[in-house]
Parts: sequence; structure tokens; C-alpha cells
Amino acid sequence: MRTVSRLRSAVVALLAIAIPLVGAACTDEGGGGGGGITLTVYSGRTEELIRPVLDRFREQTGIGYELKSGDSADLALLIDQEGDRSPADVFISQSPGATGFLEQAGRFRPLPEDILDRVAPAHRSPNGSWVGISGRVRTLVYNKNLVDPATLPRSVLDLTDPAYRGKVAIAPQNGSFQDFVSAMRVELGDERTAEWLRGMAANQSPVYANNTAIVAAVGRGEVPMGLVNHYYNVRAQAEDPNVASVNYFFPDGDLGSLLLVTATGVLRTSSHPQEAEELVRFLLAEESQRYFADQTKEYPLAAGVPPGPNLPPLSSIEANTVNFEVLGAAFRSTIQMIKDSGVER
Amino acid sequence: MASSADVGLDVRTGLNVRDLPEATRGGLDHRVEPPRPRSGRLGSPLIALVSLAIGVLFAAPTGYLVIRSAALDADVWSTLRSPRTWEPLSRSLTLAVAVSVTAAVIGTGLAWLLTRSDVPARRLWRLLAPLPLVIPSFVGATAFLAALAPGGLLEQLLSPLGLVRMPELSGLTGAWLVLSLFTYPYVYLPVAARLASLPPSLEESARLLGRRPVAVFRTVVLPQAASAIWAGGLLVFLYAISDFGAVELMRYGTLTREIFSTRLDPATSVPLSLVLAAVALTVVALERTASRRRAHTESVRQKRPLQVPLGRWRGLALAAVVVVVGLALFAPVVVLAYWAGRGLANPGSGTVELTTDLGALVAPAVNTMSVSLAAALVAVALVMPVAYLTVRHRSWIAGLSNALVVAGFALPGLVVALALVFWTLSSDALVRLYQTIPLLVFAYVVHFGAQAVRADQVAVAAVPRRLDDAARVLGAGRIRRFLTVEVPLMLPGLAAGAGLVLLSAMKELPATLLLAPPGFSTLATRLWNANESNHFAQVGLTGLILIALSAVLTWLLVVRRADKLD
Repeated sequence: MRTVSRLRSAVVALLAIAIPLVGAACTDEGGGGGGGITLTVYSGRTEELIRPVLDRFREQTGIGYELKSGDSADLALLIDQEGDRSPADVFISQSPGATGFLEQAGRFRPLPEDILDRVAPAHRSPNGSWVGISGRVRTLVYNKNLVDPATLPRSVLDLTDPAYRGKVAIAPQNGSFQDFVSAMRVELGDERTAEWLRGMAANQSPVYANNTAIVAAVGRGEVPMGLVNHYYNVRAQAEDPNVASVNYFFPDGDLGSLLLVTATGVLRTSSHPQEAEELVRFLLAEESQRYFADQTKEYPLAAGVPPGPNLPPLSSIEANTVNFEVLGAAFRSTIQMIKDSGVER
Repeated sequence: MASSADVGLDVRTGLNVRDLPEATRGGLDHRVEPPRPRSGRLGSPLIALVSLAIGVLFAAPTGYLVIRSAALDADVWSTLRSPRTWEPLSRSLTLAVAVSVTAAVIGTGLAWLLTRSDVPARRLWRLLAPLPLVIPSFVGATAFLAALAPGGLLEQLLSPLGLVRMPELSGLTGAWLVLSLFTYPYVYLPVAARLASLPPSLEESARLLGRRPVAVFRTVVLPQAASAIWAGGLLVFLYAISDFGAVELMRYGTLTREIFSTRLDPATSVPLSLVLAAVALTVVALERTASRRRAHTESVRQKRPLQVPLGRWRGLALAAVVVVVGLALFAPVVVLAYWAGRGLANPGSGTVELTTDLGALVAPAVNTMSVSLAAALVAVALVMPVAYLTVRHRSWIAGLSNALVVAGFALPGLVVALALVFWTLSSDALVRLYQTIPLLVFAYVVHFGAQAVRADQVAVAAVPRRLDDAARVLGAGRIRRFLTVEVPLMLPGLAAGAGLVLLSAMKELPATLLLAPPGFSTLATRLWNANESNHFAQVGLTGLILIALSAVLTWLLVVRRADKLD
């Protein structure tokens, strides 16, 4: 009896060790095949949003890929910690903060001119470290049952008005809000930014963890409005067509409609820089750009592809150059400034 | 191993015990045996050395933080003195104390009801009670908000009845509620295991002497279960200070949340993490000092457990069980099912197709199961020497290795992962392990070893020394005694420890995202992907599979074993 149970334990233990090894062999689906080159891609975008494009790249070029998805900031820290031994060839970042962090650490290999020239100067690094592949726009999401669209503000700066007291949800600990504040600092200076933050704090703006939480809260009417990225509500509407939340884009190139760029760069430690650049070119090609417009509902940044329906054209969106180098350097002080304003509560 | 004890020669009487008739042997042995620890005068240095080596392995994250702090030339002192450290730290401690007390009460009460009372459907509840542990706190908190926040599902459900508004769920209250409900199994599992192996004779005697059940619980059961309650409570405490998912969603500014929000600024986040490690080491040391004063009664496996008829309290007891398991397990399950169902009802709404393909979740499910099982078995076995040493031979080495093993649990998974990246890549010999399954399993073991060591300790303490002594007197060697006498007696406790590590590893996210080989996905990483993409249908589906899978594994590993007693 005891022998049997010990035997069973041994079998379980063996299986436990054998299965993942087999599993690992099975999941290596990105391999190039035929001894080709395999790129290692670290992506702050979720797998669902990037794998289809990478699969097309492999089909067309025969260059394989391995994908590690995770939070942009976590992956940036990982690359930093890996140092010279980093296996990563390409980093795709969802967050300007994470891009700025690696740019500051000198981890990117400058991209060739032909890649940089594919996007507007506002959507690429001034020193050629990275290039934007798609964009998300900051927006004010509101509940159509609670808010009359005619009363919506013309500018994000108006949200400190007492009329909006307690009505506008924010996520001050979230990367995209922090990036927005950094952009505001570049645009308006520290003094006016701090003043705006204090105004939002004085207005008792409800605080949420992230974009998803705000869109959910606005959808169920817990709070009438919230500052988020446009993409989240598009997603929420896809899952529940009856949802009451609607995106509002601040008009006339207002800072509130800031474009946050999903950036990509080749790492200095890449062992296949040519193939890595090939992948960046592919991400900027019309096919991929169309995918970002149609499938992920983002703003394409290259090849003249227009954004999806119901989205204002890129030219009407604030395309103000947010220098990521400044952003990266500003990161720490931006967080501090947000804290000092008392807006986090 | 040729100690006098092993050849059965009693040093003081000069008699060879084996030469004596059986009846005298026991009596003589009983009379002349000096107080412990007599055993292992030769064995303990070896165990001590092994424990120390294990302790060093577990020191990887803390050691990394010390080295990083030094390399960053971080101003550790000004970080420590800053109110930006103390305020979040005091919130962390407030939350952790509140959560561990609540979880201790819930876990102990539930364990007693399900092992000692005649509450209806005990076997079912025993299967369900540990499961909330497998719900990742970011999923649990999201589901709770969707269900209970103002305008949430419950309010919509109650709106025809005219209920106005749910109270806002956030801050300390929200974090406390979510964490208590998802961590009580840390107390429930070891206490239930302890009660299962506690001889009923104690409680029976107390009852025969006229004590009422409540008095028996207070004077007999509680003291006997104390070490298990403390063990579990400590785990809850450490989990609560290391948690990010729940405090983030509930917007409660703990130290861990501070570490996360400043992580791209290592000069701030690394010293803050060091503070967290120091707090953990201090708490472990304090708990150990307290545990010294607790007495253990050794246990044997009984054939028939004691059962207290609840009488007219039976309905109330059932209601309590239903409320706890209902809130901690059914509520999130209902929300997950609602998301999954809503997504299935609205397929293909134009964005990325709603991947509700179950087949795509098979590989992640297999991966999750196998790495977590491996981690559970390795953890329980690896920390055994440390547990043995801490229980049997109190020494500074025991205390130190124990503290190092336990402290790994208080650090966020992100820190543990970055530490292992640092150590693996800093040596030519270890580089090959980078981004392999064995390293991922090791990360789980380092992160969750605390759960195994506490369970191992409870298990070791439950083994009657007299049995070991008897086996030794009969000439059995140390290893044989350990395998044939002690391990079988420890099994319920070891299974509980393995169960804890298993359920924790199944939901682990940050270390898995960073350390798993590229392309290796688990259910937790699928959950993260779906949640990040605001893809609730898939969060629902994946979450349900994670819970179902953990139910099966918990039953196989933990519950079935305990049920043999029924």
C-alpha cells in the first residue's frame, strides 16, 4: 500500500518535470524553421495584439520570432537587468515612460534613416533610438445617461472648473496618466502643470487604478466621466454593445487629446540587428498599419493608412512632439509632482 | 551513525537495551532517558549545514537588493527617514494586521467546522474551502468591484427592489475585504491538517469531564492548533504586505504599491524593497520568539475523528460556511461566468476576435499544472531540513535559515524575478538556466518556500518523538526512521504545504511573465493578457478554467488524503 503510494508520488513527480519540458518544446511555435534566424521580441503589447502581425512577418520573410509579453515597465527593467546578456532583439513598448527609461540607459541601437523617415518627426526619437508604430489618444470617456454632450469641456484644462467637481475619474498611478502629465509639463511648464494637478485634487476627482477600471466605472454610472486612452472604451463597446460609456475627443488639437505612441526599437545587444530592423520596417508597412487601424482600433502612424471609423483624423489630434528623452528624465519628477499635488489621495 | 543510541546502549546504565525483556525495556527507557534532544548529536551539524546552504539559496532576493542598493549608491538612509516611506509602510502594516487577524478567525473557524462538527455537506465544503487561494488578487478585486461597487452587478440585480446605492468599495476596507477572503486558506489548510492529525482523546476526555464544546474549543483545540494558526497567520501577513493587485485596484497606498509606481526609478524603488525585506525578517523573528513559548502535543493518526454534534447551531454554522465560501469563491465565479457568457453572446464585434476557443487554453493549462506541481514538490522537499532543524534543534542557524526562507514571500514577485535574473546572468555556469523551466520552478520555490517551510514545521512538530525514539531503540537508522516513521505521520501536513505552494504558483504572474521561456504561457499569463486587452470574456473563461483545475489538484493532493479520516 505504502509502496504503491510512493510509486504514485514518483510518477507524479516525473510527470511534473517531464510535461513542462515537452510543453516548452511544443510552444516554441515562433521558430524560423530550417535553421533560420529567430528574433527575440519583448513586447509591452499583449500577445493578442501583436502575434498576428509577427506571424505575417515570419510568413513573408522566413525569419522566426520568440515573443515575451509583459508590462512595458517590467520588461524595460528586465532588459536593464539583463545587461549585455539580454537575449532581446526588439522591444515594443506600450508606455513612453518605459521607452524613455531604456533610451536614457542607452540600450537602443540607432535606427537607419529609411525607417525613421517613415513616420512624422513627432512620432520618432530625435536621436533615432525608436520609432512609433501606432498611437492611442487620450480622451474623456463619459456616461451618455448622466452627461449631456453639450456640457463637455473644450479643453482638458477646464476640468478643474467647479462644475466638474467629483465628476472626472483619473488614474494618477497609471503610466498613461503620468505620460500625459509629463507632456503637459513639456507643453505648459511645471508651474501650470502643478496648478492643474492641484485643481484636479481640489475638485476631488475620484481616483481609480487604471484605464480599464475607469471605463468600467463610467460604464456602470459610478462616476460620470474619466480621463483615459481611447482604446479601452472601444474594447468595452465590443464586449457589451449596450454599454453607456462614450469617448469624447477634445477638439482643436487640445493637449487633452494627446497621442501616446507605441514605440519600438532595436536593442544595442541584439545579435541579429539586420533582421531586427527588418521587423521594424514590417511593422511600419501598410499591411501592419492596416492591422492596427482595423483590428486594434489604434492610430496608424505610417504608410498613409487612416484610422478606423468614429475616430477623428490624426491631423486633428494633438501631434505635439513629446520628447521621450525629456519624458524619461522627467519620469521621476512627474511621479513626485503628482504625489505632491495630493491628487492621489 | 554509530552513536550509543543507535546500538541501543544506554550510556548511564551501561545496559544493552535490546537484551532486556520487552516489558522492562519500555519502562527502563522511559525512566532513564534524559530530556531531549538526545538524538542527532552527530546528525544535527550536517542538517545545520544543509539548512544554512538552503537559507543562502533563499537569500537570493534580499542579497540582490543589498547589492543593488550599494551599486546604485542609493541614499538608503534618507529613504528610510522619509515620510514617503513611513506613511505607506504604516498603511502596509495596518492592512496586514487587519487581514491576518480576519483570515485567522475565518480559517480557524472553518477548519473546526469542517473537521470536527456535523455541519452539512462537509466533504463538498472541504473541497471548496481552499480554492479562493487560487484566484489572482487582481482578478478577484476586479470581479469584486464589478459585482459590489456602485452601479455594479449586484446593484443592477437589486434595482427592481428599489435599493438605492451600494457603498463605495475602496481603500483600506476594500483591500482588507478582498485580501481576507482570498487568503484565509493560508490558515484554513494548516489548521485543518493539524486538527485532522490531533488525537481525539484530548477533546474526548475534556468532554467526558463535562466541558461544553465551546470550552473544549477554547481550552483544548485552540492551544493545540495555535502553532498552525500562527503559521498560517504569518503567511497571510506576508502576503498582504507583498500584494500589489488588490491594493492597486482598491487604491490603498501601501509600500508595495509605492515600489511598483516608482519601479522605473530604481534609486527609489530598490531601497523601498529593502525596507519590505527588513520588515519581513523582523516579523519572522518576532513570530519565532512568540512560538517558542507554545507547547505542542504530538499527534498520531487516529482512525475515527471526533465529531461534535452542533444541534440547533447546525443551521447557523452552515450559513456561516455558505457566506464565507460564497463571497470568496462563488461571487468571483459568478462574475467570471457572467463575463464569459456575455462575450460568447456577442461574438465577433469587430475588434480582435473574441478568442473563446477552449483548445487554445489547453497548453497553458498543462503548463500551469506541471510547473506548479513541480514547484510544490520541490519546495516541500527542499525546505524539509530547515523545518526539521527549527523544530528539533533550536539554534541560530535554524532561526536564520528559517527567516531567509520565509522572507522571500514578503517581496513582490517582480523583485524575486529580477533578483534571479541578476544571479543567473552573473555567472557563466548559470547562464544556461536563464529563461528555462527549471529557473521558473526555482523562482516559485524561492517565492513560496515560506508556505512549505511553515507547513513542514507544523508537520514535523506533530510527529511524536517517542515513536522516533522507539524506532531508534529498535535499531532503525536515521534515514530509515525518517522515511518509514516520520514521513507517513507528516503526510497530512506535507500535503497541506504542497497544496499551498501549488495554488500560489498556479496564479503567480510577475515572475512568470519575466522568467518563463518565450512562448511559454500559463493560465495566469493568459489572464493578464486578457485583462490588459480589456478582454473580459476571456478573463472569465480563463479564470473559470484556473479555478476548476485547482479544484481537481486540491482534491487529489489535499482533500482526498484528509477524507480518508471521514
